[in-house]
Amino acid sequence: MKRLWRIGSVVALGALLAWPAGAGAFQSEGTVRIGAMWALSGPGAFFGKSSHGLASLAIDEINEAGGLVVGGKRVKMQLYAEDDACNPEQGLAVVRRLATVDKVLFSLGPSCSSVAEPVFGTLQKRLDDPGDTGLQLLFFTDTATKFGLAKLSPWVFRNTPDEPAMYDFVVKYLKENYPDLKTVMVAYESDFAHSASTWKLALQPALERYKYHQVVEVVDWRWLDNEFGAQVAKLRRANADIYFSLTHTPSTCPSFRELRRQRVKPRIIIGVTSIAAGEVLRQCPDVAEGLIAPSNFAPITAKAKQVADKAWERYSADSHIHSVPAYENVHLMKVLIEKAGLKNTEESLLEDRRKVRDLLARVGTFQGVVGKIKMNPDDHPVRPRDVDKDMILVQVKSAKWTVFWLPANLKQN
Amino acid sequence: MPGILLDATEQLLNGLMYGSLYALIGGGFTILFGVMRKLNLAYGSTIMAGAYVSLIPFYLFKVPAWVMLLSSIAGAVAVGFLVELVCFRFLRKGHELAPLLTTIGMLIVIDEAIVHATGAVGLDYARPFGEESLAWGPFLVRPDYLAILVAALACFSLIFFLIHRTRLGRAMRAVAERPQAAQILGVSLRRINVLTFALTSALAGVIGFFAVVSVGAARPELAVWLTGKGLVVTVLGGLGSLRGAILGGLLLGVLEFETMWFLGTSYRDILAFLLLFAILVVRPAGLAGARAT
Repeated sequence: MKRLWRIGSVVALGALLAWPAGAGAFQSEGTVRIGAMWALSGPGAFFGKSSHGLASLAIDEINEAGGLVVGGKRVKMQLYAEDDACNPEQGLAVVRRLATVDKVLFSLGPSCSSVAEPVFGTLQKRLDDPGDTGLQLLFFTDTATKFGLAKLSPWVFRNTPDEPAMYDFVVKYLKENYPDLKTVMVAYESDFAHSASTWKLALQPALERYKYHQVVEVVDWRWLDNEFGAQVAKLRRANADIYFSLTHTPSTCPSFRELRRQRVKPRIIIGVTSIAAGEVLRQCPDVAEGLIAPSNFAPITAKAKQVADKAWERYSADSHIHSVPAYENVHLMKVLIEKAGLKNTEESLLEDRRKVRDLLARVGTFQGVVGKIKMNPDDHPVRPRDVDKDMILVQVKSAKWTVFWLPANLKQN
Repeated sequence: MPGILLDATEQLLNGLMYGSLYALIGGGFTILFGVMRKLNLAYGSTIMAGAYVSLIPFYLFKVPAWVMLLSSIAGAVAVGFLVELVCFRFLRKGHELAPLLTTIGMLIVIDEAIVHATGAVGLDYARPFGEESLAWGPFLVRPDYLAILVAALACFSLIFFLIHRTRLGRAMRAVAERPQAAQILGVSLRRINVLTFALTSALAGVIGFFAVVSVGAARPELAVWLTGKGLVVTVLGGLGSLRGAILGGLLLGVLEFETMWFLGTSYRDILAFLLLFAILVVRPAGLAGARAT
């Protein structure tokens, strides 16, 4: 009797676990399922939650306007957002869930490059290769910024900053506009993929290319470290004109306080792209005063202001360089889904994903919130399936991000 | 003083001051282990719970730092009682690993509760010791680190006084050395365990306040960091030895600061664990032995 109970409970448990969430044809549900994996908890949660808010705003706008037209029928977008907590192991579990349980058409995210790298590694590497058993799930990434991630799979597209180009511009700008500032010191997070790659693949090559600035000190710490005394003492000793702080908010704020304690005062401080968001203004606006960061977003157009205001009002979501792409991606995908001729059924899921993927690869230029965005095609020699978009320099002034520099084509806005 | 000696001395001073925080954390683990012969892996989250409780009066009423310290202690004691009740009191004897598992569970529960309450965002904390380092000859000394050293001296003085000069301390030592004999002589094991929890939880409140002051923001992931440091120091010093915990904490602090200065961040943790390994091979009982608290 006991044995029967045990067998019965195992079978029941197995059936429960194997039961797919929300079974049934999608078209008949009246939905198109879109997925997302973001850091919704943990130290990266600020970025994940703001992306979630901006994506949700875009979905609301689409659904409130009647939804999308698929197969001649109006359907709504439904978001399946999963939390990867900026943790690679969790990300690997989540991607399988999105692909095979939630059965989403495509996914936004991940937030962290350290998650994106292993997750994209599980995707199919060669299209139309029956021997390649990788996941066939389309990613349209809004945040994970490390250089080269889109090359990992033809299923990965990114609307993320081009950091090598941005820092190349920053170094050139400093050389031309601040010629008397020649010494540089750098801090980066050795255990955070984005920070380390910004130094090694973006800033360091730019400094070597222009041969104008002298790097007098480079220090590193862990992104969740609590103590920066030794490293800042080295920066104090270096006393360089320009300080590149390629660090994220958890270590930027305490390290900036340590800079103040030790009376280290570089003439210019340049941050990492991800710092150009509201988190640093909430945590340490006093010590962040004057910080400059390269960005792709500032509320400089009517559309940008409207999106930023609505996202805050509805979702308390911060609009910044990493979250606004989630909004742009959803709106672009709406257009592509309607053009793709999808069947939108569970059986046609792989075929539908492929159709949308191919359309995205051929999209060319599309309208972003601030300006035009160009998607590189599959055969781009350097950055396939990554975007090119206008760069802005922003600066903290009186606890707000303000525009420090705009390209000419955006100034007229 | 030659440059390299100057650097080494400055890092030694910083290491001793910061190491006194590690000593406090290790002390909390050690006192409980000494009396109850059990490790409380929820201690790190008890510390953080106290710090987060102190944020309530800080954000609502802008209270001064001493009120925050008292509320951190009160919050940690309340959470400590909960941990004792849920993770220790009703466990049967003979299941030696059970407290380890229950306290890991409690660590996760408290951590997740903080994450859900705060959205995992770092919350700005009071800076009662000023924003600039103090110049002391050629050295720059952080006033909050100096405060940690002073607090550690005060706490350990109080603890040693309590343990060696009071009836409660005598009872705690009796239970630590011979629990059955102590019980026969009329010492209530349950009462001593609860009071030990209260003592270590109050200590957790002090640690939480000073730890978060030194970081500048309350962050949920600090609980795991505190637990890790506490365990290293406890084992380094010798399970159950308060003197060992103090020595271990100071040694770890100095090692970390000197390593970071001369070798860099990537060697910091490697060397700390290599030291732990070396000491355990040479002296398995830890730096100061295992038995008495």
